[in-house]
Amino acid sequence: MYNLIRFIQKHHFVILFLVLEVLCVVLLTLTQDFHRQRRINTTNDIVGGVYETGTRIGDYFRLGKINRELAEENAMLRRQLAVTIDTTTGYQEVISADTVYNFIPARVVNNTVNRPNNYILIDKGSNDGIRKDMGVISTDGIVGIVADVSPHYASVMSLLHTYSTISVRFKNDEEQIATLRWDNTNHRYGYIDGIPTHLKPQPGDTIVTSSFSYIFPENLMAGTVVELVKSPSGTLNKAKIKYSTNFGALKNVYVIQHTNMAEIDSLNQLQLGNE
Amino acid sequence: MNRVTTNIIRFIVLVVVQVLLINHIRLGGYVHPYVYLIFVMLLPINIPGWQLLLSGFGIGLVLDLFMGTLGMHAGATTLMAFCRPAIIRIVSGSMKFDQTKEPHINQLGFAWFLRYTLCMVFVHNFTYFMLEGFSFHLVVQALLRILISVPVSTFLILVILYLFSREKKGKNKN
Repeated sequence: MYNLIRFIQKHHFVILFLVLEVLCVVLLTLTQDFHRQRRINTTNDIVGGVYETGTRIGDYFRLGKINRELAEENAMLRRQLAVTIDTTTGYQEVISADTVYNFIPARVVNNTVNRPNNYILIDKGSNDGIRKDMGVISTDGIVGIVADVSPHYASVMSLLHTYSTISVRFKNDEEQIATLRWDNTNHRYGYIDGIPTHLKPQPGDTIVTSSFSYIFPENLMAGTVVELVKSPSGTLNKAKIKYSTNFGALKNVYVIQHTNMAEIDSLNQLQLGNE
Repeated sequence: MNRVTTNIIRFIVLVVVQVLLINHIRLGGYVHPYVYLIFVMLLPINIPGWQLLLSGFGIGLVLDLFMGTLGMHAGATTLMAFCRPAIIRIVSGSMKFDQTKEPHINQLGFAWFLRYTLCMVFVHNFTYFMLEGFSFHLVVQALLRILISVPVSTFLILVILYLFSREKKGKNKN
């Protein structure tokens, strides 16, 4: 026993170093569990509070820009309102857009774009009705999916995430669906894969969300095609996509609440049970 | 006591600067400057080993909490703290200086500090980006990030140290 204590005293520097490093590795493996999406870390109220204070200070320097953005959005909403009132025949659109989805406005308090897996911290949480797996959009297009919530904050898995996959389709071709992913390099560009060779998407073609997901409503802007990347094996091509959302300057977002989420969930559960 | 308060204030200021200011620098996605390393670099040279390690681990862990990378910064800063005595020995060579003080840019000279900062930043960035790269299977990108981020961090750290060196000199006299 005495020898052990002597040993620890003599080598305390190395032993403490090893203990701390093992602790780090344990923490790392605990939190890098992508399938369960556990992010106990940034979604807590102390960290959220510091980021919010920082954002508030920063906001004073951006008031002009924020005002302009909100004014633009107001104008757009007014236009939409006018369109809805005018087109009394388009009852199908009214149903799909207004009755099933509810939009909760939120502010971005922290956002990264240059890491392999980026998350966005917003200032609304479970107290405001936000739940895991809800879609998040900005006025320009889709942004991400809620990964974790605390009472006052929520952590959103950005489109700029290694494991982010969004079901999309070409706006001018309702049938052709594809998957939108990010290749970890530039925060302005992602790519879609699974394009059959007979299809020739042109630069500038618009990509919108498909109807195969209840996270995002159909027809939301996702991005535009920049170029077609021919696959070397000549089977399914890829296309480089420019995101319509500028992730570098994200400020105001909307969380999409599906009013029948519980119903859909229970149906999915039932299906899984039958299989 | 005075030295402890100075270091606590430095800790808080550096975390805030890193999290709210420096982390928003984005140039093409490969530049990640980490200036909070100044905290570990400026601890007194003769600080007991366990204090050095716990300081490094502590600031790394706080950064991790803010950036949602639990374990990565802590692992990198702990290794950096562990290597610090050896780095100081290698960088100094036969140079003689006051062991009881904090390393100071006016006292030890620019060349010494450049070598010191480069070594410390390299150990940190290498560990951090490798941990990040291996966790996400992106080793080539991790190497690129190291290659670009080390000079940027070193430059920023030296600029900050120069900007505040006059003030620190006054503090040491007290």
